Amino acid sequence: MIELRRVAAVILLFLGVGVGLHLLMDPLRDAGQPATAKAMTLGAGLALSVLGIIGGFLIARIPKERIDGVTEHLEDMARRGTVGMVVSEADADALGRLGHAINHYLVFVKDEVEQSHMTAKERQIQMKVLEAEKRHVEAVIHAISDGVLVMDAFGDLVLTNEAAEKIFGFTFDASARKPVEETISDRPFLELLHEMHETGLAVPHRTVEWVQGSGENARTWRVILNTVVEGRKHDRVSGVVAVLHDVTKEKEIARMKSDFVSNVSHELKAPLSSIKAYAEMLLDGEVADEAEAGEFLGVIAGETDRLGRLIESILNLSRLESGLIPAKKTDLAMTEILRDVGDVMTPQATKKNIRLETDLAPVFFRVHADRDLLYQAVLNIVSNAVKYTPEGGQVSISTYLDDGSVVVDVVDTGYGIPPEDMDRVFEKFYRSPHSAGGAGGTGLGLPLVKHVVETIHGGRVALESRVGKGSVFRIYLPAVR
Amino acid sequence: MGFKVLVADDEAVITNVVAMKLRNAGLNVIVAMDGQEAYERARAERPDVLITDLQMPGMSGLELCARLTAELPEPIATILLTAKGFEIDRSEIDSLPILRVMTKPFSPRELLANVREALGVCAAS
Repeated sequence: MIELRRVAAVILLFLGVGVGLHLLMDPLRDAGQPATAKAMTLGAGLALSVLGIIGGFLIARIPKERIDGVTEHLEDMARRGTVGMVVSEADADALGRLGHAINHYLVFVKDEVEQSHMTAKERQIQMKVLEAEKRHVEAVIHAISDGVLVMDAFGDLVLTNEAAEKIFGFTFDASARKPVEETISDRPFLELLHEMHETGLAVPHRTVEWVQGSGENARTWRVILNTVVEGRKHDRVSGVVAVLHDVTKEKEIARMKSDFVSNVSHELKAPLSSIKAYAEMLLDGEVADEAEAGEFLGVIAGETDRLGRLIESILNLSRLESGLIPAKKTDLAMTEILRDVGDVMTPQATKKNIRLETDLAPVFFRVHADRDLLYQAVLNIVSNAVKYTPEGGQVSISTYLDDGSVVVDVVDTGYGIPPEDMDRVFEKFYRSPHSAGGAGGTGLGLPLVKHVVETIHGGRVALESRVGKGSVFRIYLPAVR
Repeated sequence: MGFKVLVADDEAVITNVVAMKLRNAGLNVIVAMDGQEAYERARAERPDVLITDLQMPGMSGLELCARLTAELPEPIATILLTAKGFEIDRSEIDSLPILRVMTKPFSPRELLANVREALGVCAAS
């Protein structure tokens, strides 16, 4: 009978202690539980353990004072939330032995508890690190100059950055998820997102061009679309990521390049057409006599020269613009350059009965410049002035100092430039449809002037003109003190 | 023959050589140096064939052809000269009485053949 009671007592004892300890460990395993829940489970665990032990001892009829001692120990441990010894090393009777066994078990539990504490702390640290990383990633996405948009499987906008907000003109509120349609109104763009979502499994990456707006304000975006694929078999599209890169400028440059090539070929074809036509006429014996044949050969020679000059100017300007020829700048006297240009242009002016005047100050205004380039720029302006001034007119070159700048004025009494052409004369290959001179230049002279003066030397070109009265081309260059 | 051809191009070297080729073939040639002048001369002289450059100051060859087609009772068979080749809008050409588009540099010989063809078309209609 006593044996049976003891067995029951031991079972009860272990059952109580076991279940109690299990509950005791539980809150320590899960770091995510709230503090009150943790405390409640901990308390319940300890209480069950104590009850189990007491119940076991009661059934085994062990002297009350011994049981009281053990109970006090256990209650004390419960109060302090610690794990310690329930009997001393000296206790050698049955209760003592049981106590030792419990002691051993408690030591094991203590280690486990400590281990769990450590793990929980590590998890907390890991979570903090993860949270910081998430904030960092969000900050990075925000700092990207390209627009970023993320749509989830339900068509809600879940992540975006400042650039995207600017592109579409909205303010994103991460806490209030809304269908992407409520934030973005551009139909074609929305269709891109939804189409990507639908076809995302078959075509996970796509790059498309999307034009926003129209007319002068139109912007072209390169949209890189990627799908986020999830599921065990990677068989579910859970979202679409769109990255928008502004390619408006690149498009514009590409268009300008293509225009330039088209213009160049057009310009080259003009003299080539003449050469071909006149040569064929000679071959076909269409000329009346030798004198006419000579005239035709003269045209061919002249057009060949024109072709050569054109190619030379194109190469020069393109080399200059690409920066392939570095400017060799030295301090030099503007007056000397103007004198040289005057000397070179005088025969041509005299031929057209144009008076070419150089009114040069005795003082040598100095500029820091590339001599050859500056000479070419001034020569182009003076050559134009002579070309577009009718016979008997006048072209004058002068230089003076104005507010820290060396100024060069080239004044003519020529045909003048209508107001609508004033800005365009500096464009490549632009020749005014109103140009009364019909002098057939390359259309590259003034673009070179502008590039040399403004881009290479940090100066400025100004133009004043009145139709029928004449023009003033004015160059400003920083003076060397 | 008495056929009249109007040649419009802003480059004198081109109008000179084309005019000479056509005159040598016995055609009457009128020359215009820009679109506006060509428009006025075409209205006044009613040529049988118009040879025009595409790019001219003021009025382009296509504009010239379109205006004449809209305003004159009979369309003028037109040959378009251009340095731009493939950059022309085909639909615009198809809607006008343009028989040939010749890209520069062109052959005067071929041009004359095209004019003859145009005159044949003219005579037939």
